[in-house]
Amino acid sequence: MDFLRPTTWADALAAKAERPEATPIQGGTDVMVEINLDKGRPAALLDLNPVAELRDWSSEDGWLRIGAGVSYTRLIDELGDRLPGLAQASRTVGSPQIRNRGTVAGNLGAASPAGDSHPPLLASDALVEAESVRGSRLIPIGEFYLGVKRNALEPDELIRAVRVPYADGPQYFSKIGTRNAMVIAVCSFAVALHPSRRGVGTGIGSAAPTPRRAPEAEEFLAGELDWDGRTAVPDETARRFGELVARAASPIDDVRGTRDYRVHALAVMARRTLGWAWTEYRGI
Amino acid sequence: MRYVGQPIDRLDGVAKTTGAARFSAEYPYPNLAYAALVHATIARGRITRIDTGTARKTPGVLAVITHGNAPEMKPAPKPNQFDMSTLAAATSVNYLNTDEVYWNGQPVAVVVAETLDVAREAAYLIEVEYAEYPAAVDFAAEEGNARPQKSTMLSEADGRKGDAEAALADAPFALDLRYTTAQVNHNAIEPHSTTAYWDGDHLILHEGSQNVAWVRDHLAIRFDLPKQNVRVISPFVGGAFGGKSFVWPGTVLTALAAKVTGRPVRMMLTREGVFRTVGGRTPSIQRVAIGAQLDGSMTALIHTSVCQVGRTGGWSEQVTSVSRHLYDAANIQVQQNLVGMDLLANTIMRAPGESIGSFALEATVDELAYELGLDPIELRARNEPARNPLDGKAFSHRLLMECFEEGAKEFGWAGRPQEPGSMRDGRWLIGMGVAAAYHPAWRFPANLTVRLSDDGTVLIRCGLHEMGMGSATAVSQIAADALCVPMAAVTVAYGDTALPDTTTAGASSQTASVTASLLAACAKLDRAVFTLARKTPGSPLRGLRRADVTARDGGLYNGSRGESYHDILRRAGRASVEARVGADTRLGEIADQVRSMSKFLLDRRRWVKAACGAQFCEVLVDSDTGETRISRWLGVFDVGRVVNAKTAASQLRGGIVMGIGLALTEETLVDPRNGRIVNASLSEYHVPVHADIPVIDVRYLDDPDPTMPLGVVGIGEVGVTGVAGAVANAVFHATGKRIRDLPITLDKLL
Amino acid sequence: MADIRMRVNGSIEKLDVEPRVSLLDALREHLGLTGTKKGCDQGACGACTVLADGERIVSCLALAVQYADRDITTIEGVTSPLQRSFVRHDGFQCGYCTSGQICSAVGMLTEHAAGAPSAVTGDLATMEIELTAEEIRERMSGNLCRCGAYNGIVAAIEEGIR
Repeated sequence: MDFLRPTTWADALAAKAERPEATPIQGGTDVMVEINLDKGRPAALLDLNPVAELRDWSSEDGWLRIGAGVSYTRLIDELGDRLPGLAQASRTVGSPQIRNRGTVAGNLGAASPAGDSHPPLLASDALVEAESVRGSRLIPIGEFYLGVKRNALEPDELIRAVRVPYADGPQYFSKIGTRNAMVIAVCSFAVALHPSRRGVGTGIGSAAPTPRRAPEAEEFLAGELDWDGRTAVPDETARRFGELVARAASPIDDVRGTRDYRVHALAVMARRTLGWAWTEYRGI
Repeated sequence: MRYVGQPIDRLDGVAKTTGAARFSAEYPYPNLAYAALVHATIARGRITRIDTGTARKTPGVLAVITHGNAPEMKPAPKPNQFDMSTLAAATSVNYLNTDEVYWNGQPVAVVVAETLDVAREAAYLIEVEYAEYPAAVDFAAEEGNARPQKSTMLSEADGRKGDAEAALADAPFALDLRYTTAQVNHNAIEPHSTTAYWDGDHLILHEGSQNVAWVRDHLAIRFDLPKQNVRVISPFVGGAFGGKSFVWPGTVLTALAAKVTGRPVRMMLTREGVFRTVGGRTPSIQRVAIGAQLDGSMTALIHTSVCQVGRTGGWSEQVTSVSRHLYDAANIQVQQNLVGMDLLANTIMRAPGESIGSFALEATVDELAYELGLDPIELRARNEPARNPLDGKAFSHRLLMECFEEGAKEFGWAGRPQEPGSMRDGRWLIGMGVAAAYHPAWRFPANLTVRLSDDGTVLIRCGLHEMGMGSATAVSQIAADALCVPMAAVTVAYGDTALPDTTTAGASSQTASVTASLLAACAKLDRAVFTLARKTPGSPLRGLRRADVTARDGGLYNGSRGESYHDILRRAGRASVEARVGADTRLGEIADQVRSMSKFLLDRRRWVKAACGAQFCEVLVDSDTGETRISRWLGVFDVGRVVNAKTAASQLRGGIVMGIGLALTEETLVDPRNGRIVNASLSEYHVPVHADIPVIDVRYLDDPDPTMPLGVVGIGEVGVTGVAGAVANAVFHATGKRIRDLPITLDKLL
Repeated sequence: MADIRMRVNGSIEKLDVEPRVSLLDALREHLGLTGTKKGCDQGACGACTVLADGERIVSCLALAVQYADRDITTIEGVTSPLQRSFVRHDGFQCGYCTSGQICSAVGMLTEHAAGAPSAVTGDLATMEIELTAEEIRERMSGNLCRCGAYNGIVAAIEEGIR
């Protein structure tokens, strides 16, 4: 196993172009699991830790550009006010030790359907900034996930950053697990209200081959909510929203939970997060 | 008593909080090599080809051992209840001496290499092909093939009083319920690890073990050595819970790898390797039926079980034992069944039998109480027996109802409305449940020596095991009190076959077993020292009778007349005086075993002995998602005399925590198609975490059992019993749903 | 092979390791610092927790070469009143998870002092987060204890912060 250790972003891109089979490693919290459990022995590892450009986040035009090396812990501490949904999800990733090292970019690279950061990224229309020696491109999050542990990156591309718009309204994340902490989601859900454009964002985790949105539910709810009057959401609307979210999923039975349970729980989480979000929006 | 009963800090506390405690994979050896296993991927069949070419060529590989080139080993001895060490063979498979595969995960090759990474990489490169045979791997589907379990001297598999079926049919009120419990695994945080080396024809092993003598005896047989040529060293054991009682393949194969390579070899199993090569607790299917009068008095109690064993071995669980002891039913029938499976042998795990048997029994009793409109504790009180219900033997000691009474008071039991689903806090449904805890008390022979040196220190040499129970601390306390010396003067050497053989650290028996021998040895020592003092010219104790003399402050005194042990030994010109319990010859050992077994059987004819208690649980259940959280716990126990208030409470709490896992989250999932464990990791097998465990209030009555040494009754397992029952009962009280299938996971509550 | 230097418990150590060697194996097998334990090798038990420049990480999911020139503290280098508190409150039984629990607790207290919230912290606007038993449990949940000494561990940490 070769170990590549570029110290600049340009060198990293060059290395990836030369060795497209190389697995990028940042915090190691996903890649090392695969290596230690003999699930995969990459021919080469591309260590991005020394690349200073990845370590920071910046803010521009209402968007945050979160470098691929920013840990969950820093995201929670430093960006929690601007990205509440992503921060809430980040607070439930693995253990504190994992959060100190793991990154959102790593979650995207692994593209596990159970990854905790996916639902809030979907709900807030994030962009994945991918780059190679050929150039840079922004991949809409909805087009990023292709299948179980497959994403839209080209073999020579690396994730430079994740771009997420500032929250323009309430955002909430909910996750169900089999114990109180240290859980891989049985299923998870994120909602983001976008009052400026009277829109609703959603993200579903662990209930389909890829993380996905619930477009029908978003459209329905955006049309039903009393954005100006801020009156309470009728029970019937919340129930219907839950149903549409559940309908958007295509879960299976697996070791963590049954199909039926996930369908039920998604509807519950959708209603619940909507309730929290609308309460916040109403300012009560 | 100055020390017994006190909350004394563990003697190994500093070693364990500074990283100084060495576990079995942590002994440095020059030239150390590392071993890794290759596991079979089929349930049953024969190896037709193993390609080890690439693995052998990997730089750093020292040996690849398969059935094609492994040195011959002797087969495991047949289990024989008169020689307990024969139980040590976890399976009957002669590893790497056969091309047959008996379970999915059986080791089919061992790689030895210069480094851990090379060993694992090469193991990954080995390709194995098989001819598969049909296999029975789906427990649920095999229920119909179960056969009655055989009784042993230690455990009876069936029993009856009257005609329980007829009484059930005639009962004014009857419940007849079916329960299932999942396979679970010990998952001690220390994976099974062995460091082995050969010094000529002597084998030395560092091995985390609950019975070093069994490991020694077993390896001596397998490698055809006199047993004095094998030494097993195990001062620290990183958790065990039954999983390190027997000898599993990794131990044997590390010794084999060291033999083949002529190097010291270390093998720490991967977590997956632990799941694949160390058995867990059997799944079970149970029937509990109770017939009762309208006042709650039981007329019939039937408890039957089906468990699995591997075809190559496995522990036969005493699932129904609690139903022999807990309720004064007029007619009782208990009966255990087993079905052979093409799976890894199951094994003992903390309170084998009682942990899952008490779930089914206690859930049924709760259900009966609700059906009859009685308080569940009142129902128990109405059926509390004066003598052992099944056979009328006397209880040596039993304060079960006292535990319930104290617990009910402390927990605020009476204040709860009995109506299910009647307590709520926002989205959380609140429920309270109660169940009895019960675990038999055992005692086995234990050898040891106690040596008093002329510096006033006491050395106890005793091959006991310390997996975290605080045994060495307890033994020091007892010895210090028995000899009236300060605890600081006492040292206990343990966890080594170079010391006198003690007993297994299992069945909650170690402390009671060792205490009996320790008290006997201390009494012998006392007599020897007194005799010395009495006979030594110039001694202030010269000529006195023992009755005139008191032991105190590290010496023997008659009023102010007397002197310290130090002075007694110095005056007599003795460097030390030693007393021993146990034989040092093979013949003496056999005689000891026979003597102790007959004493054991005689004792069992006279008494029923046990630890018992009352478990109180409060749960919160999310009304929409079924998420279940334990919010409060209280356990009140009758565990005889408590030697160390601090470590005893920890043991009881630890049992309760393990019970909470059994109740709510733990489940080893076996693929019904191929017998492969699919969640062989700590990320997919969910043991409770910090956030799952509230403050656990533990109390005990501290009333000595008059028939046990120092009144000590085992404490290690009773804590886990009754827990799943209390949780299930609380979940019912919260939700109105009876979940009769462990673990009680989210989806079952919808 | 890679030649690296690392400051471990205050002293500079030279390591000649293959790049694939985890920090955990480097500590245990190359430097003989066996106080750091291996329980699962996949970040699911926390037994291998060490402090990297004061921050708690699971050393099984770190490559040694990634930590070249960094400052690593293992249990052998910890001197904290927590150690005494763990003994007093019986915050362990077998002792195998203890090194990780203590290193994790030390790192957790640093995180808390820096104002880091946890998954159970309610209002993020609150400046001072009280380290309640619930907060401690959540923040320590990356460290499994199969002996079930959780109550003792929490009590030991509560004593440590008083």
